[in-house]
Amino acid sequence: MITFLRRRIVSSAIPLVFVVLGVFVLARLTGDPVNLYLPLSATEEQRAEFAAAHGFDQSILAQLWDYLGQVVRLDFGESLRTGQPAGEMVLTAFPATLQLAAVTMLIAIVGAVLIGSLAAYRPNSLADRVASFLSMTAASIPDFWFAIMGVLVFGVSLDLLPTSGVDGGAEVWVLPIATLLIRPFGVLVQVVRGAMVGALSAPYVKVARSKGASEKRVVFGHALRNATMPALTVAGDLTIGLVNGAVVVETIFGWPGIGKLMIDSILQRDFAVLQAAVLLTAVTIFVLNIVIDICYALIDARVRQPVAA
Amino acid sequence: MPSSAPPHRRGLVLAAAVLLATSACTVANSEAGDAGAGGDTLRIVLAQEPPTLEPCESSLTGTGMVVRSNITEPLIERDPATGALEPLLSTGWRQTSPTTWTFDIRSGVTFQDGQPFTAEDAAFTIDRAVNSDLMCNVDGYVFDDSPLGLHVDSPAKLTVTTEKPDPILPLRLSFVEMVPRTTDTGAKVREPVGTGPYAIADWQTGVSITLTRNDTYWGDAPAYPRVRYVWRSESSVRAAMIAKGEADMSTGLDPEDATPENSVAYPNNETTALRLDGTQAPLDDIRVRKAIGLAIDRQAVVDVLFDGNAEPAAQLIPDGVVGYNDALKPAPADLDGARQLVREAKDDGAPVDREITLVARNGQFPRVAETAEVLQYSLGQIGLNVKILMTDTAAHLVYQLRPFPRDVGPVALLIMHGNQAGDAGFTTSQYLLSDGPQSYFGTDALDDMITDADQLSGDARQQAFADIFAHQNAEVAQYAYLAHMQGLMGMSPSVHYEPNPATGDELRLAEIRPADGDAR
Repeated sequence: MITFLRRRIVSSAIPLVFVVLGVFVLARLTGDPVNLYLPLSATEEQRAEFAAAHGFDQSILAQLWDYLGQVVRLDFGESLRTGQPAGEMVLTAFPATLQLAAVTMLIAIVGAVLIGSLAAYRPNSLADRVASFLSMTAASIPDFWFAIMGVLVFGVSLDLLPTSGVDGGAEVWVLPIATLLIRPFGVLVQVVRGAMVGALSAPYVKVARSKGASEKRVVFGHALRNATMPALTVAGDLTIGLVNGAVVVETIFGWPGIGKLMIDSILQRDFAVLQAAVLLTAVTIFVLNIVIDICYALIDARVRQPVAA
Repeated sequence: MPSSAPPHRRGLVLAAAVLLATSACTVANSEAGDAGAGGDTLRIVLAQEPPTLEPCESSLTGTGMVVRSNITEPLIERDPATGALEPLLSTGWRQTSPTTWTFDIRSGVTFQDGQPFTAEDAAFTIDRAVNSDLMCNVDGYVFDDSPLGLHVDSPAKLTVTTEKPDPILPLRLSFVEMVPRTTDTGAKVREPVGTGPYAIADWQTGVSITLTRNDTYWGDAPAYPRVRYVWRSESSVRAAMIAKGEADMSTGLDPEDATPENSVAYPNNETTALRLDGTQAPLDDIRVRKAIGLAIDRQAVVDVLFDGNAEPAAQLIPDGVVGYNDALKPAPADLDGARQLVREAKDDGAPVDREITLVARNGQFPRVAETAEVLQYSLGQIGLNVKILMTDTAAHLVYQLRPFPRDVGPVALLIMHGNQAGDAGFTTSQYLLSDGPQSYFGTDALDDMITDADQLSGDARQQAFADIFAHQNAEVAQYAYLAHMQGLMGMSPSVHYEPNPATGDELRLAEIRPADGDAR
């Protein structure tokens, strides 16, 4: 297991480094932030002074070297936009995104397993057709449209939920989670259903039934365990997407998360905040990938076998 | 009956339940139960979170909306409706020589932290905002490069000297918000102390800003004890908050979200136009530039794309700004006349089929992309070859400000200019001077007219700038005008407020009252 983990850590760390370096370079190719932060009539001298004060007058390689030196000291620089420490801004925003992603994926996985299994248990039954239709619809609905409709229907017309914001109890979570949930839920139901249809027709299921195992045990004990791998892969990808920032949801509902922070940082060429946000999400995704790999290994012993020499 | 689930599964279920329950209570990075549910609290929804509340950055819309005349105050306040300068922290001012102004400082004023406000603070503030290396936006917005001389004659008297005669110095100083002399001079501050009717009570980053009434305020107490700002990027969500009663006021609604019940239109001093790069063929031919002006059906754009919330324009400033020329009328679209001009230019060798890039900014104003497409079509109708480039703010600034990008061919830049200062001098220095930061080109004659006009005051100043705009249209034609825009402010029936041309940049809370007329 240790060998397996070490191998996975090394292979996951490489993309992490490339992402961080790539964002650093690409961000600087999007343009000079000086115009955004200085008065319109700033002189050439003032512009040069501003650029020098923030290191923009150096080559990208020199800036990268400085940045890496700062990162080692856990110093992520200062936001051009707000003047606050970039690391502090990112750490303040990230938990709100993590909460949203965790709750959404928990509901999506539990719901998809139940509904996908139910649909697969009797293929082409009414329940299966309804589940397939609804899951495909859910996976296809644009989240932006769904969010605005949710605000207008449930927030304004029916007056059941707040339109947006984070002030209040459970009710403030409903529309953001519903918006965020709809696509992962639709996708996962289809994945679970497909995997379960295959698993339920496998020989070992027939053997289990012939041995007198209960249907509950056949479905959830045998078939579901074997159908978990593809679902876990897809769920992992979807979770990573949410951790990267639920930009649409955070923008529409005023959710103080990292997705909105990243978009604002890109638009305002606030490189320090963007880099800190990308680094934090990249590390989180790195950890998530390791956790998913551990789950693979726990579920399927073949995964953790060392590769034969 | 004992549970049949294994212990690790029960733990998982428990963890999930705890996660849900925890999440259902409070969102990270927020404090529950601070919604300010109406009543004593005025709830305002902005389009964006202010990046900072630094007073010397208050010429930035996001900052000025919260700060100006609310948390901090200037010496002099400009009435946005009439343009008149009114006393605020200065009770009177006079020009004692062409380069010297004296200001009487109001006594009995204290900052929100209890320090008294004196001429010393006024001098400190002006020095910090205008003469320092802080690179304050207000400095670039209303002052030029030359420093101001500041002399404190007494706690109640301040003298300001300029290198050149400046007849509108009081107007410029109306943009400088006063801070105590203890304010940091080496860096901008995020949460300032001021003399205004409200003080900052709480800023939850990403969530809200709450102001509370300043009980030691020197003037009349504002109607609401508490004001809470939140921000939503989507206009439809802001409109929904007004409709549902979650917010009392909202800035900047899009036309499709505005109804007579939830909003009120107001002229916002913004003017849209195409700025034409007259240094590049075929735009270096004045006939082509004038043809572009003739090809635009302004009234149709206003009626169809702006839902009537604008007025066709014939100059860069709207009525009400000093220098407005009321003799200039928007020409109706004349495609035949425009085609004729383009033909003449072509016959004289102008490469009229050379591709012109029409640069516009996403989110610049409602339906900007559709507006760009209409302009592209109109210019195509007269034989010009136009492609559209939509950009974000940062990329648009590259085209907007000197030094302009090279090797991009002829550019028609869709601009929206807001003259919030109320004087054409702030427009001409930026947009019409040959070397203006936002001007492609000019003429010596126009430069001389602008230099002369800047030295004038009163009626002579008004006439001089009016002549400049007429000259620009007849002899230079750097701009093809579109419209004087209107803003749409979301407003609940529960509040009373009359928007003015400055409302898009500053929202004076003291002018807002409950609709029933009672103070809270």
